[in-house]
Amino acid sequence: MIGRRGWIGLGTVAALIALWFLLTTVTGIVSGARFPSPAEFWLSLRQIWGRGYAGGQLMSHALHSLKLVAMGFAVAIATGIPLGLWMGWNRKAEAAINPVFLVIRPIPPLAWIPLAILWLGLGDSAKIMVIWFSAFVPSVINTFAGVRNIDRPMIEAARMLGTPRWRMVREVIAPAASPLIFTGLRLSLQASWTTLVAAELVGALVGVGFVLNMAQQDLYPGMILVGMVTVGLLGWATTALLGMVERRALSWNMAARD
Amino acid sequence: MGSILFQNVDKVFGPASSGVKALDNINLEIAEKEFVAIVGPSGCGKTTCLRMVAGFEAPSAGVISVSGKRVTEPGPDRAVVFQQFALFPWKTVRENIELGLRNKNLPAGERNTLVESALKLMNLETHADAFPHQLSGGMQQRVAIARAYVLDPDVLLMDEPFGALDAQTRVVMQEELVRLARVNPRTVLFITHAVEEAVYLADRVAIMTRRPGRIKEILDVRSIRQAENWDRFQKIEDVMDLESFVHLRTHIWKSLREEKGSQSI
Repeated sequence: MIGRRGWIGLGTVAALIALWFLLTTVTGIVSGARFPSPAEFWLSLRQIWGRGYAGGQLMSHALHSLKLVAMGFAVAIATGIPLGLWMGWNRKAEAAINPVFLVIRPIPPLAWIPLAILWLGLGDSAKIMVIWFSAFVPSVINTFAGVRNIDRPMIEAARMLGTPRWRMVREVIAPAASPLIFTGLRLSLQASWTTLVAAELVGALVGVGFVLNMAQQDLYPGMILVGMVTVGLLGWATTALLGMVERRALSWNMAARD
Repeated sequence: MGSILFQNVDKVFGPASSGVKALDNINLEIAEKEFVAIVGPSGCGKTTCLRMVAGFEAPSAGVISVSGKRVTEPGPDRAVVFQQFALFPWKTVRENIELGLRNKNLPAGERNTLVESALKLMNLETHADAFPHQLSGGMQQRVAIARAYVLDPDVLLMDEPFGALDAQTRVVMQEELVRLARVNPRTVLFITHAVEEAVYLADRVAIMTRRPGRIKEILDVRSIRQAENWDRFQKIEDVMDLESFVHLRTHIWKSLREEKGSQSI
């Protein structure tokens, strides 16, 4: 199951954990007030796993965050991919929409948080909106680039075969652009997690970002690390899931990627 | 059904006043079931001629018509075989061939029959469920030819179809095309820069000048082929040894040489 590369990766992780143990516990070079030792991390983890912290157990915080990311990401790709396809296919649509993008794109997604909270309060909808904004842009841009990069003879072949408009989008344009569409989705997913945690740090009553925020106020390094590791694992797991979907969807493209 | 007619066709790329004139007053008539090859120096606009018949580009002046109908857009009555195959890599061989039939809204049973016969025609039966990337270049071009033939088009447009293949595969495909022309004759417009290929395959060979491209000369290969009975040979190398073949080839070579010689480079 685990290949050579996998063992090397596991080795690196094991070495880092050993180093962590060495610096905090064995030698005490890094004090527990700055960075928690493995034992403190373990205690914090047991606390939030069982009794709970910041109003809930780890699972409920994590699931809540996961739910918001899933919803924001879903809305972003459901709107971003069609818009990107449309812009790539229709020069007028691109001419109309691109200038708006040029202005909106440099605004960091996090800068939307104040506006979102002002409009929608501290609840879930504000966070979904901010995730949508941040994940939308990479979806649109990469889908657009994917359509523009399609080999012209492929489109011409489809036109020569008399392919009607809808079938052209579904069976030719979208699959031909899909390698770049998936690149966009990976960037979108990354942006979703970044934005979610930031939004929860600013204003939330539940979620992993909220755990981080409370732990900071409580001067609780062990719990901060638990929150960070949780975000890392959630991000890794969702990215891996997306990677599985990508490999399935692009199996025809495997030769091209070798 | 199946004739191609170029009438006073000009093509200018870019704005009409300052653009580059690619084609100058092309007049050519291709009869039904006739195989015409266009040869010419690179950049002479021979591919543009084909692309205008396909409907991918419009003439700047003049008219192109197929089966008496003016060409305005691409369509399955004019099937194209591209140099780079242009298959859909996410579709299997069968799905690639079937797409044009689905676009014609044929019922599934009829589609199957037609796809099976196209697979058989091009010796692709055992690869029906493979994806293009699993096939060699020659096999991929077979799929592209099957995809074109299955449409039962009025005319077949082939744009340097064997240009991306290695020399051996190329010869096999040329012989294959001659076989197809006997089994299932079509009107073919064939673009190539390979002189032997043109002489071997075509009924007539049109030689073009360098840019702006004009038709310089049209050679009637068929009458020579019939008079000299080339068809008694199966293999291209036997035909290529014949004095009549060599004579034609040398004539075209010299004609093309003149065009290259008059270039500044």
